Amino acid sequence: MEQLIILAVFLSLGYFFGKMAEKKHYQSIFEREKKWLSIPVTASKQVMGDSRPIANGQLLVGNMVVSVDYFKRMLAGLRGIFGGSVQSYETLLDRARREAVLRMIESCPNADCIINLRLETSSIYKGQGNQIGSVEVLAYGTAIFFQK
Amino acid sequence: MEYKPGLPEHNDNISHTQPVREFFLLCAAILVFLTVFYWALGLLVDVAVEHIPPKMEAAIFSPFANLDEKPQESPQQTALQKMVDNLSLCASIQYPLTVKLVESEQINAFAVPGGGIFVYSGLLDKLKSDNGLAFVLAHELAHFSNRDHLRGLGRGIVLTALMAAITGGGSDITQLFAPATGVGQAQFSQKRESLADQQALLTLNCYYGHAGGATEFFDSIKPLTERSGKSFQHYFASHPEAEKRIENLNQMIKQLGFTIEEVEGLSEVFSEQNAN
Repeated sequence: MEQLIILAVFLSLGYFFGKMAEKKHYQSIFEREKKWLSIPVTASKQVMGDSRPIANGQLLVGNMVVSVDYFKRMLAGLRGIFGGSVQSYETLLDRARREAVLRMIESCPNADCIINLRLETSSIYKGQGNQIGSVEVLAYGTAIFFQK
Repeated sequence: MEYKPGLPEHNDNISHTQPVREFFLLCAAILVFLTVFYWALGLLVDVAVEHIPPKMEAAIFSPFANLDEKPQESPQQTALQKMVDNLSLCASIQYPLTVKLVESEQINAFAVPGGGIFVYSGLLDKLKSDNGLAFVLAHELAHFSNRDHLRGLGRGIVLTALMAAITGGGSDITQLFAPATGVGQAQFSQKRESLADQQALLTLNCYYGHAGGATEFFDSIKPLTERSGKSFQHYFASHPEAEKRIENLNQMIKQLGFTIEEVEGLSEVFSEQNAN
């Protein structure tokens, strides 16, 4: 019985703190995405809709490591028994992707545009099922500066 | 191609569902699975234990409980063994059982697969008469005639295997369902204990000709169990509460029309043990 109480405490802690952190993080993501809308970011290899001569380019990198909370991990574990989409991990990855891209942009606020955006994901605790699962998302691209 | 800046109006990459609801739904589904499988496999265990002859049981289990090893000769040990042998006739157990007295403060006696009964010396301190001791031993004998020791073991194995298969042994999810399976095991065990109490009463009556001393042991441990608190703990206990067992025994004595006569005091060999 004590076991179940301890587990319930962990689960609710995970749920509430996880939810709080997620809400706060999304708030920050929305605000910053709006702020950086002025810098065009594309996955294209060429600059789009701008024929100005390019002065120089620069490699940009941004990454984020994010961990799943206890509740979501448990929920994903239950999903692992029945199968189906693991919805509890969706926000985790969505947040990590957007945060990584934002950090990449913020590393070069003076760029005229960023092209060739790529994303890579890797799991940190690979193969160790009982550990808390964390993922790293890496965003990289090329910053373009036009001739003045 | 022209670049048009814009923010997504709706996030399609995440599901807007209720995770708590999903959590409870999945838990409920697993509980249903566990219950159904445990019930079905439990029935199989019940069938199997009826078909394990005592000889085979002894061959399989006696090495684990060190039953082949002769217990240390002592007057108490001999007296206990004699009592078990005599009670076996009343309990209609055809095969030999080995009783072992263990020096320990603990108040306990239990039956182990392979035909062994372990009695802790702490138990003797709690008893006032031979009749009371005979009831406790008769209770363990009833477990043998009902094959409860094998049933309990079989169900334990089934449950562990089942949990390992479904949730992957030792994971957090196993922990999540451990209390539920604990309740299942406890409820089954309590049922078997009540049945053993009933049979022990019959054995006691057959041996002494009256049912005196049947509730003696439970009367003496009642204060101990009351102190440990009640609340919902009894759902997880392997044995019914002492108070309930006394009540059931008294009711059965009345129903069967057994008489309760004055009990003889505890034999000297055992009371000497008390003095030590």
